[in-house]
Amino acid sequence: MATHTLKTSEALKTSKNLKSSSPASTRPTRQPAARPRVKPSAFARGADTTLGRGIIQLLAVAVFFLAWEGAVRAGWLTEFLVGAPSGIWRVFLASMLDGSLPVDTWYTVIEAIIGFLIGTLVGSLAGLGLWYSAFVARLVEPFIVAINSVPKIALAPIVILWFGTGFVSKVALAVSLTALVALIAAYQAARDADPDLQALLASMGASKNRIFKSVIVPSTLPAIIGMFRINIGFALVGAVVGEFISSQRGLGHLIYSASSLYDLNTVWVGLFVLMFVGFLLYHVIDFAERRILPWRQITTAGQVQV
Amino acid sequence: MTAPGVQLSLDGIRKSFPGKGGPVPVLDGLSFDIYERDFVSIIGPSGCGKTTVFNVIAGLLEPDSGTMTFRGEVVPGLQGRVGYMMQKDLLFPWRTVLQNVMLGLEMKGVDRAQALDTAREYLSTFGLSGFENAYPKMLSGGMRQRTALIRTLIMDPDILLLDEPFSALDYQTRLYLEGVLLDAVETFHKTVVLVTHDIDEAVALSKRVVVLGNRPTKVKSVHKIGLDARSPIGARSDPRFSDYFQTLCGELEIQTRQRAA
Repeated sequence: MATHTLKTSEALKTSKNLKSSSPASTRPTRQPAARPRVKPSAFARGADTTLGRGIIQLLAVAVFFLAWEGAVRAGWLTEFLVGAPSGIWRVFLASMLDGSLPVDTWYTVIEAIIGFLIGTLVGSLAGLGLWYSAFVARLVEPFIVAINSVPKIALAPIVILWFGTGFVSKVALAVSLTALVALIAAYQAARDADPDLQALLASMGASKNRIFKSVIVPSTLPAIIGMFRINIGFALVGAVVGEFISSQRGLGHLIYSASSLYDLNTVWVGLFVLMFVGFLLYHVIDFAERRILPWRQITTAGQVQV
Repeated sequence: MTAPGVQLSLDGIRKSFPGKGGPVPVLDGLSFDIYERDFVSIIGPSGCGKTTVFNVIAGLLEPDSGTMTFRGEVVPGLQGRVGYMMQKDLLFPWRTVLQNVMLGLEMKGVDRAQALDTAREYLSTFGLSGFENAYPKMLSGGMRQRTALIRTLIMDPDILLLDEPFSALDYQTRLYLEGVLLDAVETFHKTVVLVTHDIDEAVALSKRVVVLGNRPTKVKSVHKIGLDARSPIGARSDPRFSDYFQTLCGELEIQTRQRAA
């Protein structure tokens, strides 16, 4: 997240620089309403750094929880219905100390990650494979669309019936949620791969396999890795919903059983841990993307990004 | 000048594409010869199928009928024997300049160490040393097109197929790259087929110009260009340049009038 905001803010700065250095002749047409250009204040410049933004973000979180706590203490909110930060913290500490929270988190995370890996891998490979044959692709397209239009969560009861109430059913649910997303994204990206690059390789006498390896795979990677971000979320949904329906462990189990006991503080602990896990996994993928696609990270100095 | 041998001969090439109301004929019995070490430009009204000719020669499209003879041997297409260059530089964004240049050698299965050496040598010949590890995104349009030219030349193709390679560049860069191209063609003894809409460029660079008619396309005429100067700027200042230019313009203009009528 931090890197993204950094990029946009830098881009905005460049675009400002470009505007101010644009030739005088283009100015009247470009800027009919000549707005006075205000230099960012010293405070704004100091705040727009990684540290500055971090402080502001932390402050925002602190204010949110303080207001929540204050409202509960003042009696504007009932702790029974919304919980309270102090209570959430107590539950968090207690469940960390007795080891139940780490175990629940571990279950959910492993279910989601294994489901993500299997679903994404199988889906991406199948999607890329469809590039090989336009005939097969056209043949299976209506089936893919039909299966994809079923809300996968509706499959959960069947998945539990088939795969039991244990670990496997949660992984299966995560796979069912991620596989088709991966397949469609990979196939779409493979279809959008530049036909001229493929023609160039063909003119060099390259085989279809060679074109697949040298053009299709690298040019679909950005879309496929972009899809990872969506799928890691879907995998967590699959794991948690599986746990809602029937389970002995996991964050979904924690949230579901606590909410049926009106133990809102415990529900919040589960939700915040889930949020943290999703956040972490998102950044793992972000990191992987920068490693795998170094050529995507380059922005030329003159490039304007609005 | 003794007539050099025919390198590639197109004979009665026909090609049509499926359209709404049945097949649309694009090439209608196209025949012309390309000599060894020739520099042929193909010009014609827009939409006359210049790029289709190009794709047929490259072996990317199969003609409906007609034959291509390469050095006395009938071939379906010249896959692997041609260097292919388009208006788009077609550099692979995920490859560095060096890796882009090495692409053709990789396809040919040249030993990696040797390919690296050759690529470095070409890059320094064409003044791109120091940019080996840059990604195409970081280069200017002219540098990108130069990289594409190196990638084409390094494969040592029998024929260079150029489809409006410089038309996206500004005029100075284009003049410069035309010079680079002419020098390279002289040095490496290449045959060039240049598809262009730019009569000026065709006259300045070519030994011969093939004029195509309207669709369905046949060869309208072939003009020999006899300019002495072998540099793009020198050729443009040759007194005969404007005669050739007028003649070719005339050929194309008549067609536009016919179309309007």
